[in-house]
Amino acid sequence: MNAQLKTTPLNKWHRDQGANMADFGGYDMPLWYETGVKNEHLAVLNSAGIFDTSHMACISVEAGKDQMDAFTLINDCFTRDITNLVSGRCVYGAFLDEQGHCIDDAIVYKFCDYQFMICVNAGMGGQIADHLEANKKDAAVVITDLSGKVAKMDIQGFNSARILSGLIQSPESVFTKMPYFSFKGHFNKTGSGADQVKLLDGTPVLLSRSGYTGEFGFEIFLDPNAIVDLWTGILKAGEKLGISACGLGARDSLRAGACLPLSHQDIGHWKFMNHPWDFALPYSEDKKSFTKEFLGADALSSAPSDRFVFPFVGESLKKVAAGEDTLVLEAGQTESIGQVLTCATDMGIGWNEGVIVSVASPNLPENIKIKGISCGFVMVSKRLSPGSKLTLKQGKRSILVTIVTDIRPDRTARKKLDNFI
Amino acid sequence: MKELNELNLPEDLKYTEDHEWAKVEGDVVTIGINDYAQDQLGEIVFVELPESGDTFSQGDEFGSVESVKAVSEMYIPISGEVVEINEELEDAPEFVNNDCYEKGWIVKVKAKDLSEMDGLMDKAAYLDMLKG
Repeated sequence: MNAQLKTTPLNKWHRDQGANMADFGGYDMPLWYETGVKNEHLAVLNSAGIFDTSHMACISVEAGKDQMDAFTLINDCFTRDITNLVSGRCVYGAFLDEQGHCIDDAIVYKFCDYQFMICVNAGMGGQIADHLEANKKDAAVVITDLSGKVAKMDIQGFNSARILSGLIQSPESVFTKMPYFSFKGHFNKTGSGADQVKLLDGTPVLLSRSGYTGEFGFEIFLDPNAIVDLWTGILKAGEKLGISACGLGARDSLRAGACLPLSHQDIGHWKFMNHPWDFALPYSEDKKSFTKEFLGADALSSAPSDRFVFPFVGESLKKVAAGEDTLVLEAGQTESIGQVLTCATDMGIGWNEGVIVSVASPNLPENIKIKGISCGFVMVSKRLSPGSKLTLKQGKRSILVTIVTDIRPDRTARKKLDNFI
Repeated sequence: MKELNELNLPEDLKYTEDHEWAKVEGDVVTIGINDYAQDQLGEIVFVELPESGDTFSQGDEFGSVESVKAVSEMYIPISGEVVEINEELEDAPEFVNNDCYEKGWIVKVKAKDLSEMDGLMDKAAYLDMLKG
């Protein structure tokens, strides 16, 4: 291992399992375990999977009691309008620079009117904290990069709540009134709402009903000293249900199939608009304006963009490499209109009579053999309609893909929690 | 990922710059991708095979292997005609990961000119190439 790489508290566990490790955002992280990416991906769709996400960064943004400075700073810098965000809810969006380019995507958690937490990608804690610091002007806001002080792991898949039920105090209470993108608890004993969610040994955790797989599940923030016990406890509790530890490979393939962006790949240094993630911008109902002003908004609104990002699906498992070297061609044309941002395989989906079905689809036709379909995102110079066909050509290799509005059907993330306990 | 000293590289095989292996038996050469390649690709979920009877010149692309996130072309180490393909890989592409030199072989080629094998690397030369 490169001595410069940072490690998470689970690093020894990963290495003891013989995980394939790699540098990710400056951290030594598992790509997959012995079970393999395919089985890890399918475990989340068929039961549950756990992910070490302690490499992600958290930032605390606090003002004095009853002061609105923390709210104002975030609302000015974040793409989503948090005016109506209530305590105990979180929201996905992005931080842009003045040119409208995306610095990073993030989830903002609201503890109360003057206390927020922001979760960003690996290695981005310092940069986003600096960005907020630079934009707070004279506001009395304390911005703290919590990197290394908070550990994080996630459990995703429809058995997540059932497995967690045996490891937390008063699960019935915890899992009551917990809609998608809400959270309970705190990772500090003295934090706001710390009594709401505790492990059986009394360790407080922040349990967030969010995630990046498209499936029902939780992100869990806690004391770094407690994460190994929780991780192994979850694996033991979920053993008979088919739970799997999952690496970054499965996270990426699940995320692509769920039509969600990968930072610095699907979102990056181009204007953060004309993309399929409308939920990340504060559009008015008619989508002709924004509901608030925010850093980067003027750049998005004033200049017409010649870049459009669309999801695509292939005809089979066949893929091409992402990057500028792979041509994106319209039928009969030889000049590329863009580039492939992500090209992965969702192993849980397959074509059935012209329609994509998932291994988790209700009424899945008998005898159907789901092998997986390539999918991902292209960035092109013109607006395309769903159903448009493109050829992605990498050297002698080419695949035919279709522009779509969604990829993996029958995802569970937004379903009522009652379905899963 | 495996360290170089962890790689399984049998002495009796020849290796290419593109990480294929080749083994001569009579005038037939069995071809696959080596331990380094399968390890770098990760879990392979699909192998695109040529058809029996296809002919290739040394260095031609003859198929591809795909993991969940990556794709990699395979280049034929020797000129000749494909006389057999490993059809089991259609349902069990994981053989390439689990047993790349036995169950995970990919094609057998009737060599046009076996002397082309002389231009391939032995284990020591291949390892030197990986070390850069």
